[in-house]
Amino acid sequence: MRLCKIKMREEMKMNKKRVIYLALGVMILALLLGCSKKPEQELSDSKAVLEAVAAEGGEKYAAEELNVIQSEMTAALDEMAVQDGKFFKNYDKTKEMLAQVKAKSEALQAEIPARKEKAKTDAQASLDAATMAVADAKALLGKAPKGKGSMADIAAFHADLQGLESALTETQGLMTSEDYFVAMDKANGIKDKASEISTQVTEALAKVKAAKKR
Amino acid sequence: MIHGLIKTVFLLIALSILTGCKSAPVPPEVREAEQQQHDLWKAGAEIYAPEEYKIYKRGLRDGQIHLASENNRFIWFRTYKDVKTEFTNILAQGKLLGEKVDEHKRTKSGNVANQIAFFRNRIETLRKLASLINEGSRSSRSLTKAELQLAEISLLSERGSYTEAEEKLKGISKYTEQAANAILPILNRYTDNDQITKWRKWVNETVEASKRSQSYSIVVSKVDKRLFLYKGGRSYKTYEIGVGTNGSHDKLYAGDKATPEGKYHVIKKVAGSRFHKALLINYPNEDDRRQFAIAKSKGLIPHRAGIGGLIEIHGGGKHGMTYGCVAMENQHIEELFNIVDVGTPVTIVGVIEYENRITSAMKNL
Repeated sequence: MRLCKIKMREEMKMNKKRVIYLALGVMILALLLGCSKKPEQELSDSKAVLEAVAAEGGEKYAAEELNVIQSEMTAALDEMAVQDGKFFKNYDKTKEMLAQVKAKSEALQAEIPARKEKAKTDAQASLDAATMAVADAKALLGKAPKGKGSMADIAAFHADLQGLESALTETQGLMTSEDYFVAMDKANGIKDKASEISTQVTEALAKVKAAKKR
Repeated sequence: MIHGLIKTVFLLIALSILTGCKSAPVPPEVREAEQQQHDLWKAGAEIYAPEEYKIYKRGLRDGQIHLASENNRFIWFRTYKDVKTEFTNILAQGKLLGEKVDEHKRTKSGNVANQIAFFRNRIETLRKLASLINEGSRSSRSLTKAELQLAEISLLSERGSYTEAEEKLKGISKYTEQAANAILPILNRYTDNDQITKWRKWVNETVEASKRSQSYSIVVSKVDKRLFLYKGGRSYKTYEIGVGTNGSHDKLYAGDKATPEGKYHVIKKVAGSRFHKALLINYPNEDDRRQFAIAKSKGLIPHRAGIGGLIEIHGGGKHGMTYGCVAMENQHIEELFNIVDVGTPVTIVGVIEYENRITSAMKNL
């Protein structure tokens, strides 16, 4: 009888332990599987912001930073792929990486309008300077003697200025299509050429004056 | 037994907490490779060696996946030995790719520089040729556009954007060709051997006449912009001159602003000219009248146009663009006016020599 009681008590103890082990096992499994939900939403959010950066002109105004973030996105995708292949998945790191990509992309996206605006202002300033330089050269050329007795080069300068005026129109088109960097380069070229023509016209006028004095 | 197992697990956990939190360090090659990838991208690997860059990036990505899976292993079992080897290989591959990109860029840079030099020379030559025949206005618009494009291309080249520069170079020939097409048909007269032979014959006859009469003869070369005064068949004086706005053409009718070509003589000395002093020549001569009639019958000249006249050698300055006359500095016409008499032969030609300023400039085209 006493032996029977001891056996029963031991069996109960064993059962208790089994329950504990089972509970522990369930807890461990829950812990291991608890973070297994794939961060689809985070991935889609990060991708959306990154695409928005590119759409806002990231490749033109923030090419380097965009390239770095794109590399980080790739690394996050790699991390996710590794977790996808595991039995006990843990996407914590993936989430962290995606959150970083999103935060950096958002910060960059916020900076782009200012950079774009600066490029626009700079290009417009160059275009204004070029327009003024062409107008100056034109005014100077207007002072050149007309008709018989004019310098041979004067007629060519008029054609030069026509070329510059047509280039100014093209540059204005570039401004409209928001190609600010190309517009700025073109405008600077026009300004230089117009100044060169002004110098040549001044020299030519000086020659004519000198000839008249003689 | 189970107790023993639990104890062992707890001991392992405790041990891992005490010691295992420190995993083996990620090899520095990983960070270096990431930086290298960025540097290669900045250097334009995507543009200058796209296939190789794709392969390199695939290799780098495999390495990063390998690194990520190693990072995800249980701390005790992490080993970066293979990762290190893999990234060392990636770095070596990237170095080779970098060298290849540099090589491509050097080649492209050389090509772009050569093309820039070629077009600069072409533009300069076309400007020079246009200026020689007073036809700058025909070509300057296109040449200015070509110069602007060339300036942009030079900037792109300075920034290392050689592919973009090459793209823009393709568009520049459109402008240089426009300029060339505007002036080459005019220039061809000055490189045509038959035409030059005819001019030379006129010049020789004029010099011969001077020799025979032991007096003065005048030869005007429009391209050389020179007036040669011969005395007794020998060169006596040379003066710089200016010709008509359309001086490169042979005069056909009144108002075409071209300077006539042919054998003429002084018919009047005008002491009170508007242009200091002047020597009036007998344009149009018989040959001019014949050419005028032919051109008119072919409809090559305006229906109501007359043949024109009053072609002079006058003062006013050698830089002058005239309506067809020959212009000289005042002191030179003064000198010439005093030397020559009515009847002095005046021959006006395009050029005298087969190898002239135009033919030599055209060699650079």
